[in-house]
Amino acid sequence: MTLRLYGTASRSAGFSSDEARSVLRLRSVDSVAERHAADFALARTPDDIRRAVEADWSSILVVSDGAIDLPGTFAGRLVTVPPIYDYLAEGDVIGFDHASRKFRTLYRRNSAHNSLLVTERCNNYCLMCSQPPKDVDDRWILGEIKESLPLIDQATRALTFTGGETLSDWEDFIAVLTECRDRLPATAIQVLTNGRAFANSRIVDAWKDIGHPALMAAIPVYASVDHVHDHVVQAKGAFDETILGILKLKDRGQRVEIRVVMHALTAPIIEDTGRWIARNLPFVDHVALMGLENTGFAIANDAMLWMDPVDYGDGLARAVDHLSAAGVNVSVYNLPKCVLPKSVWPHALQSISDWKNGFVEECDRCDEKNTCSGFFTTGRPRFSRAVRAITSQRDKLTALAD
Amino acid sequence: MRPMPPAAKLPAASPVEVTVDFDSSIQSLSALDAAAYRLIGTATCQVDRAGDRYVCRLVSSTNPQKGAVLSSNELKERFLNLVADENLRARVAEKTEGVRNVILALAFGALAANQNDAG
Amino acid sequence: MARFLRPESFSAATEDLSLLPFNFERAGANQYLVANMVGDFVRLSEEELNRLVDLQVRPGDGLYEKAYAAHLITGTNQKAQRQLLAARLRSRMSFLQQTTPLHIFVVTLRCEHSCPYCQVSRQSTDRSRFDMSEQTAMRALDIAFASPTARIKIEFQGGEPLLNFPLIRKIVAAAKQRSGKKLDFVIASNLALLDDAVLDFCKENNVLLSTSLDGPADLHNKNRPRPGANSHELAIAGIRRAREILGPDKVGALMTTTEASLDRVDEIIDEYLEMGLDGIFLRPLSPFGFAIKTKQFAKYDAQKWLAFYERGLRRVLEINRQGTPFREFYAALLLTRMLSDRPIGYVDLRSPAGAGLGALVYNYDGSIFASDEGRMLAETGDDAFRLGHVEHDSYNSLILSDKLIGAISSSLTQCAPECSTCVYESHCGADPVYHYATQGDALGIKPLSAFCARQKGIMGLLLDILENSPEDAAIMRRWAAA
Repeated sequence: MTLRLYGTASRSAGFSSDEARSVLRLRSVDSVAERHAADFALARTPDDIRRAVEADWSSILVVSDGAIDLPGTFAGRLVTVPPIYDYLAEGDVIGFDHASRKFRTLYRRNSAHNSLLVTERCNNYCLMCSQPPKDVDDRWILGEIKESLPLIDQATRALTFTGGETLSDWEDFIAVLTECRDRLPATAIQVLTNGRAFANSRIVDAWKDIGHPALMAAIPVYASVDHVHDHVVQAKGAFDETILGILKLKDRGQRVEIRVVMHALTAPIIEDTGRWIARNLPFVDHVALMGLENTGFAIANDAMLWMDPVDYGDGLARAVDHLSAAGVNVSVYNLPKCVLPKSVWPHALQSISDWKNGFVEECDRCDEKNTCSGFFTTGRPRFSRAVRAITSQRDKLTALAD
Repeated sequence: MRPMPPAAKLPAASPVEVTVDFDSSIQSLSALDAAAYRLIGTATCQVDRAGDRYVCRLVSSTNPQKGAVLSSNELKERFLNLVADENLRARVAEKTEGVRNVILALAFGALAANQNDAG
Repeated sequence: MARFLRPESFSAATEDLSLLPFNFERAGANQYLVANMVGDFVRLSEEELNRLVDLQVRPGDGLYEKAYAAHLITGTNQKAQRQLLAARLRSRMSFLQQTTPLHIFVVTLRCEHSCPYCQVSRQSTDRSRFDMSEQTAMRALDIAFASPTARIKIEFQGGEPLLNFPLIRKIVAAAKQRSGKKLDFVIASNLALLDDAVLDFCKENNVLLSTSLDGPADLHNKNRPRPGANSHELAIAGIRRAREILGPDKVGALMTTTEASLDRVDEIIDEYLEMGLDGIFLRPLSPFGFAIKTKQFAKYDAQKWLAFYERGLRRVLEINRQGTPFREFYAALLLTRMLSDRPIGYVDLRSPAGAGLGALVYNYDGSIFASDEGRMLAETGDDAFRLGHVEHDSYNSLILSDKLIGAISSSLTQCAPECSTCVYESHCGADPVYHYATQGDALGIKPLSAFCARQKGIMGLLLDILENSPEDAAIMRRWAAA
C-alpha cells in the first residue's frame, strides 16, 4: 500500500501569521537531545501528551483521531494529524502550511529512500512522467529544503533530489547542494535531472565547484537517435543537450548515472540503446534500466506506452550483456524477477522506494521474494502476464518444457 | 645414371589486357590514380589522355598477389567499381572536410592551446 | 489539459542535416562496410550508401536511425555528436602521451639454440665480446629514464639473455635505485638455463618471464634446434617451474609460426591449454634476420596464414563455449580497438608507428634501434633504423632524429594512399620497418603488403563472427574489456 506522504492536519494552533510555513522535526517525548526551535514532541496517546507538557515541550504533534486534552496553560504550537499518518517517527521532518494546515512528510529517518522534491517545473514533458510538470512559482520549496537540512540526521546514508527538473533554478539549487556538503558531509546525494542544463559550461562548472564528496547526477537517455529521445521527452533538441551535458559532466570528473525507462517506445530498441551507451559513453558510473511506473502521464498515455516486460526480456538481456561486457555497471530496476530472463537476475535490484513498494498474493509462494523488487503501488499498477511465483517445482517444469 | 628429363612446363598464360576510357570533363584524374593504386598487384594501369578522354590501359599481372587471374570482363568491372568507389570517396570528402576539421580541432586543439600557453 | 506532440514534431528537416566523415569498402554484391571517424562499423546496401551521401534520409525510414546512431549524420546545428567524436578520438590517440614505455636491452647475442627463423643472429656461446658491458647498460638506463612517461617496462632479450644474467641483476638493481618512474621487468628467455638463482631473483624483484612455446615437441624442436634436441622439454619444464614459483600470471609464452606450424594449429593450442596457459598469441612470421636468409618468410603467403589463424581462432572459441576461459591475444587486442576507445600502445599496431615512440632497443654494443626488427635489419647490413649510440645520443636526439621522424611521418596510415580511406584504418597501424624490409620503403605499397592483407583478413573475420555468431560474439566482447 502506498504510504501517504502528504495531507491536511485536523487541527493546529500557535503558529505565527508572520510566516506562511514552518518546518517541523519530530522527537520522542522522552528525547534528551538538545532541542531545536523546529522540534515537536511526537504524541500518540493522552499519556504522551501529558508527559510532553510535563517535559516542557513547547511544540507537540499528535497522531490521533480522538479529542485532544491539553491544559489551558499550554501556549505552544500544536498540530494534530489523523491516524493514517501513524508511520511518523522520531527524527522525521515535515513541511507545514499555516493557513491551509496542509503538510508534507519531507524526510523519514528510518527510511532508506528519502526523496526531496525541488520543484514541479520542468523543461521536458515526458510521455510517462510520474510527476507531471506544472508551471508554477514554487521557489519557496528550495527555501523549505534549506530549512530542513539542519534537521536531517547526519547519519543519513543517502538523499535523492527530484522534481520536475531539479536544475530549473540552478543557482539556488546548487547553493542547497553546497549546504548539503557542509551539513550532511556523510550523506551521498543523487540528483535526478534531464541533464540539459549541463550543456551550459557555466552551470556544469558551478556543479563541479560544489566539490561534493559523493554526488551523482542521474540522467535519462531513451534512445541512440535524437528524434526518438526527443519524442519521448516531448522536447526538440533535448537529446543533443542531454548528451552534451553528460560529456561536460564527465569532462569535469563528475559522477553520472544514465537511466532508461522501458516502455513500448523505448523497450523494443533497448538493445540498440544499450549497445550505443556501451560504445559511446562507457565511462558513466552506472546505467539503470527501469521498469515503468504506471502513474502520472503514463496513465494518460497508456495505450501508447504499455508493453508487457516479458515481451522485451530478450532485448533487455542483450542490452545488459553489451553493457556489462564493456565494463559498465548496469542494474535493472523496478521489474520483478519472474518477468526477467535469468541472465539478468544478478543485475536486478530491489529498487522501488519503500513507501510505494508492494507485492501480490502470488508472491507469498515465491522463493525469490526476499531479493525481488516487487511492484509499484502507485497509479494504476499493470501486471505482466508472466507474474508467477518462482519455485523449484516451476524450474523443473520449465526445464521439461524446454 | 641418366638425368631426369625436365618437368613439363605449362605454357605461360598471356596477360589479359583491357582498355577503359572516361570523359575527362566529369571524371577526375585523381580518382583514376587512386583506383589504379588499389589495383596494384592485380593489374597495371596506364592512364593517357586522348582529346577530351582519359584512356586507361589495364594489363593483368601474370603473378597476381591476391586471388586468381581475372578475365578481361572481370578486370574491367573491377576497375570500374574501383573508380566509382573513388568518385564517391571524393564526394564524401568534399562534403565532410569542414566538419572533419572541426572535430579534429575539438579533439586536439586543446593540446595546441596548452603548448602555446607553455610558451 | 496535457497535450502531447506526435513523433513527426521532433524530426529534423533534410536541410538541417549534415554528413559526418566516414570510410567505406565494397563487401560483396550490393553491400558496403562503412566505418565512422572512430571506427564504428555499419553495413549499408549500395542504395542506402548513395541515399546517405545525398542526405536523402528521413527520421523513421530506418536508414536515418542507423546512420545517426553510427555518427554518419548529424543535425547541422547540433553539438553533441561532434563533441562525442572528438572525445572518442582523443581517447583513442592518447597512447601518444606515453612516449617510449618499452625499453629493450639486448644483453648478449650469445645463444645455444639455432632457430631457423630467429631474428637474432647467433654467436657461439663462448664469445664474451658479444655481451653488453656494464657501462653501456648504465648509459642506456640514462636514456630510458629520460623518456617522459611515468612507467617503463625494461625487457631483457638476446641471444639468450640468461647467458648474461649477472648484467641483468645489475641493471635491475640500478634501475630500482633511480627514482621517478614505475618499473616493470621482463626477461624473454628460452628457459633452458632457468635455475633457482634466476627464479629467486625474479620472485624478489617481481620480474616477469616470457618464453617461446611453438607447439608440441616435434614442432617446437624442429623450429628450435638445440644441441641435445631438447628445447621443448626444457621450455615445458621451465614454464611449469616458473609458474609454480612465481605464479601463473608472471609467466607468458609466445609462439612463432613457421611453415611447419600452418597445418597444426589445433595441436599448438592444445599444448598451450595443457600447460594451463590462459591464452595464445597467434603471430605471423617476421621477415627478418635468419628468416630472410633462410627464406622462411617467403614460404607462406597471407592467405595461407589467414586460414591458419581462422582455424585457430575458431578452435579457441570452441574451447570457450565448452567452458574454459582462453583467449587469442591478437584478437583481444583488435577487439579492444574495435569495441572500445581505450588507447592501445601495442607497438606494432598504431599510427604514428611505435618505432622509437613506443620502444627503443639498446643493442649489446651500445647501438640504439627504433625497434627489435630494426636491429635485425642492421644484422643484415642495413642501418636504416639505427638511431644512434649510447655514447653520444640522448633520448631527445634519438626521438627527434631525422631518421625516426622520417620513418614515422612517411608511414602514417592517416595520410597514406589507400590507408587513409580504408574502412579499417581506425583499428590498424603503420609498420615502417616491416614495409622497409619487404618492399624497400617505410610506407610500402599496401596492395602488395602481406601485413595489410593479414590485417584486413583478421578484422573481416572478427566482424563476421561479431555479426553472425551471437555466442562467440558474447565471448569476444569480454576479451575487449579486460
